[in-house]
Amino acid sequence: MSQPVSRRDLLHNVVRGSVLATLGGGALFLVQKAHGQVVWQVDAARCINSRLGDTGAEACKLCTTECVVALSAVRAVNEYAKCGRCNICPAYFNITSAVDEKGLPSEKLCPRDAIARKPIGKADPEDPANNFYEYVIDEEKCDGCGKCVMKCKEPLGLGSIVLRVRYDKCVGCNRCAISRACPKDALMQIPVEQALRPPELRPRTE
Amino acid sequence: MEYRQIQVIGGKGNAPGQFATSLRGLAVDAHGQIFAAGDSGITVFDTAGSVKRRWATSRPPLSVAVAPDGAVYAGQLRQIEIFDGAGKLVNTWRDETLLGRVTAIGFVKDGVLAGDAADRAIRHFDRGNHRFRNNIGKDNPVHGFLIPNGVVDFAVDAHGVIHAANPGKHRVERYLPSGQLLGHIGRFHGTDPAGFGGCCNPTNVAVRDRIYVTEKAGPRAKVYDFDGNLQAVIASAPFDPNCKNMSVAVDRRGVVYVADTVKLAIFVFEPVTV
Repeated sequence: MSQPVSRRDLLHNVVRGSVLATLGGGALFLVQKAHGQVVWQVDAARCINSRLGDTGAEACKLCTTECVVALSAVRAVNEYAKCGRCNICPAYFNITSAVDEKGLPSEKLCPRDAIARKPIGKADPEDPANNFYEYVIDEEKCDGCGKCVMKCKEPLGLGSIVLRVRYDKCVGCNRCAISRACPKDALMQIPVEQALRPPELRPRTE
Repeated sequence: MEYRQIQVIGGKGNAPGQFATSLRGLAVDAHGQIFAAGDSGITVFDTAGSVKRRWATSRPPLSVAVAPDGAVYAGQLRQIEIFDGAGKLVNTWRDETLLGRVTAIGFVKDGVLAGDAADRAIRHFDRGNHRFRNNIGKDNPVHGFLIPNGVVDFAVDAHGVIHAANPGKHRVERYLPSGQLLGHIGRFHGTDPAGFGGCCNPTNVAVRDRIYVTEKAGPRAKVYDFDGNLQAVIASAPFDPNCKNMSVAVDRRGVVYVADTVKLAIFVFEPVTV
């Protein structure tokens, strides 16, 4: 006879499932790694593109230019639980571009068109501004330039988009080229088992 | 129409009249007294900006409003505390379901309105017995309020019409207390100051002879007529660029009070005749 699933277990499984879904192939890579090993990761609280207080600054592109991996092993990730699903998403649109006939900004922000959007839930065809939208980042197009991350952070956005090292792409250099270039020491090595935990459950680094 | 800054009240600190960690709500009563919801209490300033009174609330206040009879309502998590004008607690109104996160309070004839940011709705209650009457702005017409900023804010005009900020739609919407949507002002625009910029603006609203709003990123205060025509950008420069959800209030002289949520200061602007 099967055991009843408690609400706590169910929530645990949902969180675990969403983390694995977010990490994608990287999660599989991680569980194959031996305990005690370390991996590189971006600390969002240090990264210029995501840390609070740098409003109006230009996005830092060192993760794109310094990584030895093609395009970069650092990619943008949308943490859906935080996303406001806004009609006018500052990470999707260039919000200062001219407004088109639909009342939307006419230009997209991402230079590689790596973010797709679609209406979710019950849509109001008479009033597109009355809809929620889901924003999905295409990892294969993203090069981790951080422009969307900079525009998504508070107060302009909600900070749902952050840069993450994709473990299935990272080749695990002993001296990560990004970490050497990063002016804020935002690239750091963390234990594999810590990398598998949701960011909000990781120990604070500062 | 132009405005000039005439005063700064409060600021970050521990001195009397300053705020240590938060400044979330503003209200002005008929006598021009300024009520500020910040830290863990309500501070009352006179028109000159001097502290008249301060009292603690049982939970950190998220909003403050002064009823026509002078009672002071402090919106909090899952409750509203009601004080007399001297700061004496008169009643604690708890409701786990309908008062999730009370970020705005207003009054219509015999009713009390509470903005519940937890459920993205304005609740309409009977003022005497606090019995729930109806929701306003919820699922209207499909999704209701889109508020990524975590604040439902509204104001009631002299005719009892509710003007509610709907930042995700870049609008200020007008409702009757029954919940009927009458219309809206506002549109998105990233560069034209007449529009509301960013993902979600305006965040806060006040109303008297005109409609007063605040925006985030970049923070600014603006005033519109009731047809939605921009009358003036009241100010943008004094506000910290990282602040959002700046509560706004206006007194009967047309003086505008804006709460900077980072500097923890109340900026005061008066209209200038040109």
